[in-house]
Amino acid sequence: MRLLKRVAYWLRRSKDTSDLSDEMAFHRSLIEDRLVQGGMSSNDARAAARRAMGNETYMREESRAVWLWPAVEAAWQDARHTVRALRRTPTFTIGVTLTLALGIGANAAMFSLVDRLLFRPPARMIDPSHVHRVYLYRSSRGVERETGGQYARYRDLATYSTQLSQVAAFSRRSLALGTGQETRVRPVGIVSATFFGFFDAPPALGRYFTVSEDTPEQRAPVALLSYETWKTEFGGRTNVIGSVMQIDAATYTIIGVTPADFVGLWTFLPPAAYIPVSKYASTRPPKNWATTYGTAIGLGVLARRKPGVGIDAATADLSNALRRSYQKQIDLEPGNASLSELRPRALAASVLAERGPDASNTTPAAKWLSGVTIIVLLIACANVVNLVLARALNRKRETAVRVALGVSRRRLLAQLLTEGMVLAALGGAAGIVVAIWASGVLSSTFLPGTERQSLLGDWRTLGFAALTTVIAGVVTGLAPLAQIRHADLTGDLKSGARNGDRRRNVLRTSLLLLQSALSVVLLVGAGLFVQSLRNVRNVHIGFDADSVLQVNLNMRDVHLDSAAKAALRLRLLDAVASVPGATHAALQESTPFNGATSYPVFVAGIDSTAALGEFDFNAVSADYFATMGTRILRGRGITSTDVDGAPRVAVVGQSMATVLWPGQDPIGKCMRVGLTDTVPCTYVVGVAEDIHSQSIERESQLYYYYLSGAQWKPHDGGLFVRGRNAKQLLEPLRHRLQLEMPGTSYVAVVRLSDFVDAKMRSWIVGANVFTAFGALALILAAVGLYSVIAYNVMQRRHELGVRLALGAGQSRVLRLVAMEGVRVAAAGVAIGTVIALVGVRWIGPLLFDQRPTDPRVFGAVITTMLAVAATASLIPAVRASRLDPKRALQSE
Amino acid sequence: MTTKKSADLLPGTLDLLVLRTLVREPMHGYGIADRVKDLSHDVLQVGESSLYPALQRLLLDGYVEAKWGVSDNNRRARYYTLTPAGRKKLVVERKEFDRIVTAIQTVLEFA
Repeated sequence: MRLLKRVAYWLRRSKDTSDLSDEMAFHRSLIEDRLVQGGMSSNDARAAARRAMGNETYMREESRAVWLWPAVEAAWQDARHTVRALRRTPTFTIGVTLTLALGIGANAAMFSLVDRLLFRPPARMIDPSHVHRVYLYRSSRGVERETGGQYARYRDLATYSTQLSQVAAFSRRSLALGTGQETRVRPVGIVSATFFGFFDAPPALGRYFTVSEDTPEQRAPVALLSYETWKTEFGGRTNVIGSVMQIDAATYTIIGVTPADFVGLWTFLPPAAYIPVSKYASTRPPKNWATTYGTAIGLGVLARRKPGVGIDAATADLSNALRRSYQKQIDLEPGNASLSELRPRALAASVLAERGPDASNTTPAAKWLSGVTIIVLLIACANVVNLVLARALNRKRETAVRVALGVSRRRLLAQLLTEGMVLAALGGAAGIVVAIWASGVLSSTFLPGTERQSLLGDWRTLGFAALTTVIAGVVTGLAPLAQIRHADLTGDLKSGARNGDRRRNVLRTSLLLLQSALSVVLLVGAGLFVQSLRNVRNVHIGFDADSVLQVNLNMRDVHLDSAAKAALRLRLLDAVASVPGATHAALQESTPFNGATSYPVFVAGIDSTAALGEFDFNAVSADYFATMGTRILRGRGITSTDVDGAPRVAVVGQSMATVLWPGQDPIGKCMRVGLTDTVPCTYVVGVAEDIHSQSIERESQLYYYYLSGAQWKPHDGGLFVRGRNAKQLLEPLRHRLQLEMPGTSYVAVVRLSDFVDAKMRSWIVGANVFTAFGALALILAAVGLYSVIAYNVMQRRHELGVRLALGAGQSRVLRLVAMEGVRVAAAGVAIGTVIALVGVRWIGPLLFDQRPTDPRVFGAVITTMLAVAATASLIPAVRASRLDPKRALQSE
Repeated sequence: MTTKKSADLLPGTLDLLVLRTLVREPMHGYGIADRVKDLSHDVLQVGESSLYPALQRLLLDGYVEAKWGVSDNNRRARYYTLTPAGRKKLVVERKEFDRIVTAIQTVLEFA
């Protein structure tokens, strides 16, 4: 009832307000009448009546407050007032919105990444705090190593543990789905039937496989599709259930589809399908996969503690189970080390891999990058506060008028907060757009090859963005308080915005200082990382990764003997010639930056070559060096004459030649490559330039050489193909070569630069991120400086007008104004330089061949910053010097 | 003008006084303030700044109704009338007030 009345009142509130005014006017006139009757003059009576009535605005507000929840009503009014005010100053509004959007967006995107890496449990997992990834360790000669991965070990842990309610085996592999030209390599979850019990995830279609289907005896060939795969590659058809699909080396019957947001344990690269461990393992060597402890098949173990069991108790229980498992192994396979020597232990760690002992180097990078984005947000907020302050200063007279009209201080405060919130909300909304874009960029730089994560519908990230928005809103909203507190009503009413009061500029000047200091820090980071990346790119790795494609053969269930495989590779090599754009091609056995092959090397006069370092080799065909762009320094490369039966030949890297035959001509020297020093000689026929084969960093004690593939006869291998445009060549090449592949086997073609780039990633990420944020910070600092100087000029118009009128030259005024900005910037640069000098210690280890205190970088940053500051101050300064004194003086 | 010092109202008594004043006839805001002042021989002074919010409160609670009318000297004025709910409220409030005053007096007498 009361609510209805309130609503009714609200709907006719303007009429009621005028009623109230009329009523009060009537009341006042009666007081006036009485006073006149008492003998007062009508003028005096009017004034006395007004005094007697007191503050009518206040009374009106109080009367309205009876009807309306004052807070709601006030907020509504304030919001409308704010929107009107913001629409009057579009430049200000757009500037603030963009600034906040960049700050909030960058933070939201970063949060989304860090959250997924470190905090968010896998979707749909039941009570993830009780679920653990299990890590297993054993010692050998006193050195502890990670172990595990065998099916038998997983079975033992499940059997012997007593404190766990659920145990599952899991693995994710890139496997080939489909056949022929339709073959695509996709991540596939290889899981035990118990895996799905960890989740509250009823299948979208069909069913999960059962424990009885997933046994070493049964090993049912059944598979589940992910919702995504089902929708995109099977058109969401329900009759997909019961159809068969080739996965890796076997065909599977599709029995179900997982729900839409189910990702297993893999938030960043969810499997496209799930197959039972037993079936998958039975299609791969070894034959005794279910019982052997000798060969690991890379299975992880997932465990859930029983209620009331602590993490330490679970770790102890698992360690105990692991010891029993090893005891069983020792009993079965005598000759193993004793339990006291193996010292097996287990660790129940977080379900999130990045929080476990095997975290990747992505996580520390993501952590320091979060720090950088927070700095960006700080700069953005400082900038916005500065703009808001300048604006508040401009509206000082308006504020004074409102206070004089009886607006309560609390109301004024609420108004400021509302304005801050509306601005922040605008910034937050635009920030979401920025975040969507930025998170795409982030995940492609940090985790290439992973699926793009949608930010909309990600409530944690949206919540974080909202929280950031509210904080930014409070900060920006309350900043002008510093001015209101000192508000001197009469002074403000008289002077408006003219008075340049130094004291009130302290806050704004410190904000500018902070901004330019932080910008310097970011720019120094940017400079160092860019230099560092340049150094990385300048490393001569000894081959042209950008122009070369690697062709990989995946035989699946096609079993060929060595000779047939070699023939197939030669057929592929011939086929390359018919692909337009391919200029050179050669067979290879291993790929630099992606694993290595090594064999013992024996050289006359050297006791143990192994003591000198690691010798890796590649078994290659003719034209290899032209394909890779590796230069032959002496002698010749491998040619088509180096066939089986001809003398065995090798080409060695330059430093290998130096270390094995110092001061001698290596050509013609004999080296024996094999398990004993009695294998026949391989003669050195050439010396090639050194290549990097494992990392961009300097490789010491790592040597590389080349054998003739026709003589070495590797079991496996693929091709390197050089093209004028590797990227464009990729798909036609894959298509052409696939035609040669028998049965379900297929070729995968990747760029060689992918392997190299992976090793460069941390430097690339650092350079890109710091440059982007450094530039952003610079722009924000420039805008901040400009706006402050410009507003100062406006404030001091009167004063500057007087100076000009009294004969101060234009150049004098110009200097006066411009120097103000440059001085602040210079102080900020000084502070920032000191902070940067201290801070670079932390990024020092992340740099490549780069001194963190490089004076060139610091010099360039300081120069840039000062130049930008000078430009930003000069524009308003020029405007000030061109003031027309007459108009400036009249305007107030 | 009288210069006699006026007393502050006890908290909560304003509503009671306003309701009681309206028992005899509908009145406007000025009339209510004037009547209270007169009857109390200028001891009780109803401030305008609390009178109007109080009237609004009584309107919201449904104890009074407001209607525009014409005043004695032919001016437009807003007259407040007591509703049945207002009469009931007055009885309750008055009893409560008497009880408290008696209690205070008892304490003052015998403490």
